[in-house]
Amino acid sequence: MASQPSQSEYVTLVSGDGFEYVIPRSTACVSGTIRRMLEPSSQFSEAITGRCVLENISGVVLEKVCEYFCFNEKNKKQMNVPDMDIPPELCLELLMAADYLDT
Amino acid sequence: MRATKITKPPYPRPSPIRPNFRHNTLPVLLDSSYTMDNEVPLPPPPRIRHRSPTKTPGSSLRKTYQLSRFDDRSSQPSSDPALFSSDDIPASGLENYHAPVASGNRKRRYRGTWWGEMVKDPKRKRADFKEKRHVDSGVWMGSDESGADSLLPSEASHWGEELLRDTTNLVMGKGGDLPMPDYSEGQTQSQVWAQRPGLRKAAEPREHQVARTIVNDCLERGQDSVDLSNGHLGFVPAGLLRPLQHLTKLPAIVEAPITEDGYGSLQPFLRLFLAGNSLQKISGELFELDSLRVLSLRSNEIREIPPAIRRLTMLQEANFAVNSLQFLPWELLWLIRKGDLKHMVVRPNPLMQIEDAEVAQWHTPEGTERESPEDSLRLREYEGPAPEEAWAPIHVATGPVRRYNTEGFPVGGPVDSTDKSQRDANVPSLREVSLLSCTRSALFDQLSDAETSEFPPLIVRLLRQAREVRDGGGRSCSVCHRSFVIARTEWIEWWDCSTYENGLKGPRCPGEKLRPLPFRRLGCSWTCVPSQTSQQDQVIPN
Repeated sequence: MASQPSQSEYVTLVSGDGFEYVIPRSTACVSGTIRRMLEPSSQFSEAITGRCVLENISGVVLEKVCEYFCFNEKNKKQMNVPDMDIPPELCLELLMAADYLDT
Repeated sequence: MRATKITKPPYPRPSPIRPNFRHNTLPVLLDSSYTMDNEVPLPPPPRIRHRSPTKTPGSSLRKTYQLSRFDDRSSQPSSDPALFSSDDIPASGLENYHAPVASGNRKRRYRGTWWGEMVKDPKRKRADFKEKRHVDSGVWMGSDESGADSLLPSEASHWGEELLRDTTNLVMGKGGDLPMPDYSEGQTQSQVWAQRPGLRKAAEPREHQVARTIVNDCLERGQDSVDLSNGHLGFVPAGLLRPLQHLTKLPAIVEAPITEDGYGSLQPFLRLFLAGNSLQKISGELFELDSLRVLSLRSNEIREIPPAIRRLTMLQEANFAVNSLQFLPWELLWLIRKGDLKHMVVRPNPLMQIEDAEVAQWHTPEGTERESPEDSLRLREYEGPAPEEAWAPIHVATGPVRRYNTEGFPVGGPVDSTDKSQRDANVPSLREVSLLSCTRSALFDQLSDAETSEFPPLIVRLLRQAREVRDGGGRSCSVCHRSFVIARTEWIEWWDCSTYENGLKGPRCPGEKLRPLPFRRLGCSWTCVPSQTSQQDQVIPN
């Protein structure tokens, strides 16, 4: 019973500086780290509450990460994937975030 | 007080009316600007007002100068700490540029509180100044090293000398009124310069200078054959080849009986010879020469030809002999089939041999699969005129596909199902997206090794890889042509190009044994694989 609310359609990603992003669960699971966090069989609090606090990612970067998640979800089935725009000043931080999120 | 040159405005001398005006506004401005100096006496207005213009030119100038400085301060926000030094050389202003430069002794006469009370005694002891300087006036002095460090190089070049003279006088000078010797000034200057590594430009090696001279010479004379061979180049220095993009031939001016030679094409037939150097990699700059027709990299130490060679679409002749190549880029084959490349010399090189290599699939010109490698390795018998396939490159075999994960590490064995559903999409990973953005941004060049050393080692590795790819001119997927940094798939295709190796002098003989060359293909995602393999993959539902 406890795992049922965790199966909600949306999950919340919280950045280190308090920004919250609500995105579809399947989209968030592009990231290996978040997927393992939300694994229902694991008894992580994230899996139960559907809320992932990502302390070391700032709001600006997490916004871009979420944008990527949606970009990934949208283009999954397509052959010609358009390029995603990344502002150059964010790319290093995004790289760190990508490393952390395993995506 | 003295003002440094950089903040000194080219004000005209104040008209006789101006002192009155200043008399009114002066104390207010002082109060708001320098609240720390409450206890310091304000300038006595009468002195300013009663200044007569008939004074000696030197002192008059000094006076007016102080005042104009003051005006200048007032127009700036009070929060900005001014760059003040305690000395003012009157001759250094724009107003009297040609006036003689004041000596060290003369400067010191006017040191004191900066807004008015001029010290007139030239024999004043240095010890007196020292006591004064213990009071923190909130005014930046020339001896502040950190201030000198933060200045822009362009600024420093203007006032650095002046500042340093002050510095040496104030800080190092212990002999009272003795002028500082020149050498100590130079030393201080060099110390300040040494703190800014960006300003030190290492002298270019001699071989690079020679190469640049050759390139410039070709550009000057409109010569389209650039010979940089045997130039002992360890690498191609930045900016050496780029100007060749704009090489234009000059019309030959001949004497009156004009022969056929006088009517040559003015379109440059650019030839670049880099043979006999010790190049280990090819810089991406080379591939910007899109009008290059002949390229010789013979006898170097090149281990890999970057895929960006595809951009040399006009290339007709290429020589990569005597290098350390184990395989060729797939894009070179594209230049043969779709481009203009007619003569390609790649042997000798330590190329992979098909006899030793693992082959996943053998091909035939008809597209049917043959079981025995011997059949594939032999040209079909023909009679009469040579068919097209006797000329064209022949796809002999395809090697197995190696897959890499998003970090660029090879993935061994079959892919597990959860990974497959997630990763089989041809969407680039976030790592890939951000790395690609890195390689395209100008900030990437400014990233120093010291900065990257604080990053996690994996990221450092990725960044290094991205830099290599960028320096090599970038990569694009051989299947979907998207730009990428980290290859996700890699395989070797074996093609026989013997007719192109001998410069299309004749077709292959009937039944000739083929000697295929290894061409490496890179894919940007796990769906970018050899066509038949990908079809097998697509059978699996995702």
